[in-house]
Amino acid sequence: MPVRFAAGTLVLLALAVLLVPPVVQLDQSLVDLRAAGQPPSLSHPLGTDEVGRDVLIRSIYGLRVSFLVGLVAALVSMVIGGLMGLAAGTLGGLPDRLLMRVVDGFNALPHLLFGIFIVALFAPSATAVVISVGVTHWTTAARIVRSEVLSLRSRPFVEAAISGGSTRMRVVRRHLLPHLFPHLTLATVLMMPHAIWHETALSFLGLGLPPHLASLGNMINDGQRSLLTGDWWSSLMPGLFILVPTLAVSVLAQHWRDRRSPRWRSELEL
Amino acid sequence: MVAWRAAFAVPLLVTVTIVMFALAQASPFDPVRQYLGERALVTSPEVVESIRQNWGLDRPVLEQYATWFGNLVSGELGESRSLHRPVSEIIGERLGWTLLATGSALVLMFAGSLVVGTLAAWRRGSWVDRVITGGAFANEAAPVFWLGLLAIWVFAVQLGWLPAGGLTDAASTTIDPADVAAHLVLPVAVLAISQSSWLVLYVRESVIGVLREDFVIGARARGLRERTVIVRHALRSALLPFLTLLGARMPELVTGAILVETIFSWPGVAAASVQAALAVDFPLLAALTLLGTAAVLAGNLLADIAYTVADPRVRTLGVG
Amino acid sequence: MTKLLQKSATLCVVLALAGAACSAPRGAADPPDDTFVIGLSSEFDNLSPVLGFSPDGGSLIFDGLMSRAPDLTIKPALAAEPPTVSANGTTVTFTLKEGLKFHDGKPLTSKDVEYTYEALLDPANGSTIRSDYSAIKDVAAPDARTVVFGLRYPYAPFVQRTTLGIVPMGTMEKTRPVGSGPYRFVSWTPGDKIVLEANKEYWGGAPAISRLVLAFAPDDNVRATRVRAGEFDATVLPPKAAAGLRGRQDLSVYDVPSADYRAIVFPMTQPVTGDRAVRRAFGLALDRQAMVDTILAGAGVPAYGPISPDTGWHDPEVTGGTDPEAAGRLLDEAGWIMGEDGIREKDGRDAEFTLMYPAGDSLRKELALAAASDAKRIGLRVEPIGLDWDAIEARLDRDAAVMGFGSPYDPDYVNYELFHSDFKGQGFFNPGRYDNPEADRLLEQGRASGEQAERERIYADFQKVVRDDEVYSYLVFLKHVYVIRGRYEGIVPGVDGHEHATGGLFAGIHTWKPAA
Repeated sequence: MPVRFAAGTLVLLALAVLLVPPVVQLDQSLVDLRAAGQPPSLSHPLGTDEVGRDVLIRSIYGLRVSFLVGLVAALVSMVIGGLMGLAAGTLGGLPDRLLMRVVDGFNALPHLLFGIFIVALFAPSATAVVISVGVTHWTTAARIVRSEVLSLRSRPFVEAAISGGSTRMRVVRRHLLPHLFPHLTLATVLMMPHAIWHETALSFLGLGLPPHLASLGNMINDGQRSLLTGDWWSSLMPGLFILVPTLAVSVLAQHWRDRRSPRWRSELEL
Repeated sequence: MVAWRAAFAVPLLVTVTIVMFALAQASPFDPVRQYLGERALVTSPEVVESIRQNWGLDRPVLEQYATWFGNLVSGELGESRSLHRPVSEIIGERLGWTLLATGSALVLMFAGSLVVGTLAAWRRGSWVDRVITGGAFANEAAPVFWLGLLAIWVFAVQLGWLPAGGLTDAASTTIDPADVAAHLVLPVAVLAISQSSWLVLYVRESVIGVLREDFVIGARARGLRERTVIVRHALRSALLPFLTLLGARMPELVTGAILVETIFSWPGVAAASVQAALAVDFPLLAALTLLGTAAVLAGNLLADIAYTVADPRVRTLGVG
Repeated sequence: MTKLLQKSATLCVVLALAGAACSAPRGAADPPDDTFVIGLSSEFDNLSPVLGFSPDGGSLIFDGLMSRAPDLTIKPALAAEPPTVSANGTTVTFTLKEGLKFHDGKPLTSKDVEYTYEALLDPANGSTIRSDYSAIKDVAAPDARTVVFGLRYPYAPFVQRTTLGIVPMGTMEKTRPVGSGPYRFVSWTPGDKIVLEANKEYWGGAPAISRLVLAFAPDDNVRATRVRAGEFDATVLPPKAAAGLRGRQDLSVYDVPSADYRAIVFPMTQPVTGDRAVRRAFGLALDRQAMVDTILAGAGVPAYGPISPDTGWHDPEVTGGTDPEAAGRLLDEAGWIMGEDGIREKDGRDAEFTLMYPAGDSLRKELALAAASDAKRIGLRVEPIGLDWDAIEARLDRDAAVMGFGSPYDPDYVNYELFHSDFKGQGFFNPGRYDNPEADRLLEQGRASGEQAERERIYADFQKVVRDDEVYSYLVFLKHVYVIRGRYEGIVPGVDGHEHATGGLFAGIHTWKPAA
């Protein structure tokens, strides 16, 4: 997918997510039994589900929910990972080695399995999903931040500040954080598709967001039953709302990686 | 490197047990309610209380952990609260099927990626290459559960070629290999395809790299057939990343197995973890989570060993 | 592949031990004619009647003192004749048939009956159905064929409870049961299937179907696919999954009525749902027929009370319909005035409440959403929320919930605990804290009375009382949809309960015969 097309698609989806909900109100608790199971048509471009809800509107709302949950989850993992990486990079020595072992340990965990474990024990909800994604995905951020800090430390202005007697906290605040910020922001953006994937996978398994809420995972799960009787649209259509933005982000990320920072290649294999 | 990994695994697994037990203690769920299921609605509270006592749920937390961990070490995994059978028995029955499915998927993924990746490199820039590369990116973006449903819709519902799920046809009282094989096709294909994008792209890039190198050009000049050159070098260049994949991408493989087994009702351990989670069956879920972690660690270890054997340079370079 | 061969080898050994030859692998589509495969949605926790396995009959492996015909009449099974009840109603005496034997050839005597009931009542065994038998004070076996039950209080439905399967004395076998029923246990492959074979010496006659496989497949679509492919000879399906199987030559579809209802319980102590006018208006707003048509794909009937219209206990006057205008008038009269946002209010309080449904149950989820949508039309805001049972139980005093109950056997079953004020707020018993002395009195009279006509009158009054109070808004009675491959004689649909498994239609499978 060419880069412009990918960017255009993302902008279009972002506009839909931002502009459609205020215009077309969706009461999540309402169904219309008399309009159940309709195939795609002019009035329902992506058809209706088995209790008569419009698949297109719900997909857009679902993308919005997934986007929000994914964003918060990515932020949580960035905060945890950022602190860990900063601590490892600035403290160095034994703390660094220990923290990197912790990172290795977390990397060895099957993420979804741990997510399932956490969500199962704390009742499926948006909070549980955010926590389960956040605490299992901070290692990428930790590695990025640590490697950036290590390279910054050897830069002249940081060395000068340290030899000039600045405290460690001051160096971190004044010199390291401003440089790390753009990297963290970008890492968050690249993290999002994966966080969204996690949310939808958990919802699909019945372990995610409340089942009647318009979420992409819930919709695919709901539609699974009608798939065998031929109503393919209610489960397959919402999947495109996960696939297309994820693909667009990965095309852009690929483009950016090739242009800018080959060093990150391995770190950003999410 | 290998010894370090092995030594690292034990404390990690112990930590995992502590974290899991702490989470279970903090959980708002009542295990007795989960055990009773819908019957909880018509069971009197005193009966509930006596079950609680029988399970030792009224004893101190540390004592419960000590008992549980002690049993775990001695191989006594406890009894599943949703299936009412020993956890070790459940794992014993199901593990073989998971290994069969994931093993077949790994073989298929390796062979398939090699062929497809090489093809793309060989016909670099052609429409074949573009379809393969684009497909690999799209495949990476498609959630595996969605891919599984798509496969069911196309091959089971529309075409009716393959069964939509399960292990065997239920009426057979014996396990007929041909029957199992038919049921194996869709889950294995979906699992293999969903994990293969990364490998396809890697094979493509490395074969392209190999094709540019002097000795290949030399080999061609000497009149060796192009196909022989490509196959030999492609194989060699794909083997090491494949080993790394076994190691580094084990968590993704476990994740894929969970979703694929659930969609195709494959009676393996991965699907059991979802059932255990839905039933808040702590003994089973904890054992399976531990098993998943151990599988990832074992995968890492095997990959390290294999890598070291396959490429002695690694030892000095300290990759990983 | 080695693993696979190993597996089949193990299976062969198991089957060989169980007395069955391990035949060469056959094609899947041609099971031997005498094997009948039933696809069940859920596996059994255990196979011990003492611990709660199939207490209402239909276990196929066990017999009770009495058994239940499809028309719900109770007839003697192990008992030679209906029991004699003492004048004060607290002593019930059974006499056993002669020459009864367990599957292992040992005689079945009154000692076994005594043991079964005592083991069930022993708190140490932790049986989940113990409280159903709390009327029993003691059990005695004065001679080999006589069993005498002493009751704490006169309990009319007691005989209904004696369908409990009888186990051999001294055994608490959970997984390899020995019973006396029409089928004997062969093997259980957990997570997969249970194999049974016909008891040729069954006192009721040898079954025509000589081998039964109970295969477990929790996924509805998988069961539907397998029965269509001929892998299952019979299964039970949710109405939607069965829709594609109707009208086929090779399959018969039975829509069996049930007493299994779904209803919304209201917390009586809350300001909004505590107002009888709100509850009644809510009940009037519901379009139950649409729920039946769409959510149940037609396999159900609208429900207006706790007693199924398919049983003799139902009061025909307890019925209703959809009338949003009448609902609106009711609310207007009660002072709930329509606000500008389309939600009514009274004394500054919005007419709104939360409706809980179990998160994993898509049927109840869809019913909750449909009910909320209907309520919105008359100006009630109902907020659905999906929770687990723990969370639901903790909130039953504050929020409404979609519940499912229903037993066709006796109106005392479940209803006593659901409506009597003694059970207020005890877990899922009387969850809405309903407290009406009139309802209490009727329930007590109905339980103690021995006269059938009098009981029918009492329970008719009871149904009107709970209808007028709208303790629950009843939504639908489900029909259980059975799909059977081939033609059999002797299939007699009855009325199913909330839980069925091999009860329901399959309870009579030993009397089925392949049609010529």
